[in-house]
Amino acid sequence: MSPKRIIIDTDPGVDDAFTFLLALASPEIQLEALTTTQGNVTLEKATRNALSVLELGHASQIPVVAGSMYPLVQPLRASADVHGTSGIGNSRLPEPAAKPLPQHAVDYLIERVLAEPGELSIFPIGPLSNIAMAIRKEPRFTAAVKELVIMGGAISENGNVTPLAEFNIFVDPHAAHIVFHAGIPITLIPLDVTHKTLLKQEHVDRLMKIDSPISRFIKDAVEVYFKFSYERGFTGCALHDPLTLATVIAPELLTLKEYYVDVDYSTGVAMGKTFADIFNVTKKPVNMKVAMDVRGDDFIELFVRRMETLARSITG
Amino acid sequence: MNPKRILIDTDPGIDDSLAILLALASPELSLEGISVVHGNCSLEQATTNGLSVLELAHATHIPLAKGCELPLVQPSLLAPETHGNTGLGYAKLPEPRIKPTPQHGSDFLIEKILSNPGEMTLVAIGPLTNIALAIRKEPRIVGALKELIIMGGAIRYEGNTTALAEFNTYVDPHAAHIVYHAGIPTTLVPLDVTYQCVLTSQDVERLQKLDSPIPDFVKDTTDFYMEFHDAYQGMKGCVINDPLALALTFAPELCEYQTLPVDVDISGGVSLGKTFADFYNYEKKPANMRVALGVRPRDFIELFLGRMEKLARSVRG
Repeated sequence: MSPKRIIIDTDPGVDDAFTFLLALASPEIQLEALTTTQGNVTLEKATRNALSVLELGHASQIPVVAGSMYPLVQPLRASADVHGTSGIGNSRLPEPAAKPLPQHAVDYLIERVLAEPGELSIFPIGPLSNIAMAIRKEPRFTAAVKELVIMGGAISENGNVTPLAEFNIFVDPHAAHIVFHAGIPITLIPLDVTHKTLLKQEHVDRLMKIDSPISRFIKDAVEVYFKFSYERGFTGCALHDPLTLATVIAPELLTLKEYYVDVDYSTGVAMGKTFADIFNVTKKPVNMKVAMDVRGDDFIELFVRRMETLARSITG
Repeated sequence: MNPKRILIDTDPGIDDSLAILLALASPELSLEGISVVHGNCSLEQATTNGLSVLELAHATHIPLAKGCELPLVQPSLLAPETHGNTGLGYAKLPEPRIKPTPQHGSDFLIEKILSNPGEMTLVAIGPLTNIALAIRKEPRIVGALKELIIMGGAIRYEGNTTALAEFNTYVDPHAAHIVYHAGIPTTLVPLDVTYQCVLTSQDVERLQKLDSPIPDFVKDTTDFYMEFHDAYQGMKGCVINDPLALALTFAPELCEYQTLPVDVDISGGVSLGKTFADFYNYEKKPANMRVALGVRPRDFIELFLGRMEKLARSVRG
């Protein structure tokens, strides 16, 4: 079977960076581009980080395209507490040699998707500003995208930025509303499953047995994230974004349910809350598949093994 | 003095078409392009109408770009009861021969504004979707745009779409929110002033003395509009909102202004799309625009009629 062709739309971000590395380490996936957006960090840092991580993974041939600097309607919000001020914990990657493409990410996504209708899957793992703008700017985009696999939302799980809302959706709830209702086939990977997918110190120790910049990067990247996670009562850090790739490399680990899903953008206490009509009380048609359960430890084991393989191939 | 360089973002639309004609008839202005948006009618129809109006006025050299066909977040809302099924009332213009430029309306605005920093005045007379998208896609236009004049909102006036909200703002309140808070020098032309400016059937008759397709178009398009105002609002004549906004580019003295903090409700309740000003500065927010709150209506209508007569003399059948 030929590998799945994907573009990751991202705001790197510790777990974003791990997603790129996992994609590069997975023969089932052909990573064709990274498009960047504000979110975990500013657009400028996100773009720099994307380029740096690709260089770390010896994949600087993969294009990086910068996108939205601001959420659509809400004010800008970047989360240094989780991801560190650089965006990837305490890691110190060198300034990237490569530059982003001169195009805007919204136009790049439109161009790539329309050039090969039905071929490209997009994995948005940050706020959905770029995807929403592409949908509104080019209505034909919707029918030409193969699918979206989105990290976002908290369905039956508590929020991680307000009591109810998950970060990516909270940052740009209007964009999420546009994307959820566009009619594109969607798989949602919410906190309900990512909070069961915890990378622990023992995994990092295991990776550190391989002398590679990949292991050292992972160790440095997760330090801040571990501290943050322990404070919240977790025994490790949730690999939110990499879990999107489970839909390709280990779909059997996920339990997917079909629901009508919406997001509150009405500016009350539930602003940015993603909810599913689990009992179909609204009688609205299903608009996505939602991962409601996961064999989290199995996914972490798969992640660590792939990182070990990547680390062995990139030494020095 | 060099003419003022303007761009119009529009959803033609009866009064939008009259605003385009007013721009073409005004030597104080150089109309450098039009971007089209959904609103009074569909994007397709609005584009056809924009091109047809340019042909009617022998102004086919002016570029016109198609923009957004849907509001950012809200569902589509068009106004056939106000503007008729074609968007131009009873007017029947021939199918245009010219085509829109291939660029997207938002990109057209970005390019025009960035390549002429500090030069361009943008007159926004439809829902603000194209402009909001342009601001988010290319934040540098905020500093490069000379001035933005928006027809929209109802400050101390009743709404014309809900009890509280004016049409352009109600159709895409999220876009309005983006534009209002972007930091562009902005003048708002709300219903408070536009509803004082009533074009009467006598005014339209006066134009009919000239033998030109221009007065015929004005009559056919406003006949429908006057029927709407009569049926829905119990008014004789019709309110020409958009031409007033356009006229303020070169005749700002037609209105009186206050500089105020202005916002729009996007919280999803009964006042969704309501534009409001903090007159007493309760919220201690800085003023973000100049709002037209007084107008000399008859001076404006006379100006409009004079310009239409001039255009009619130059455009013969």
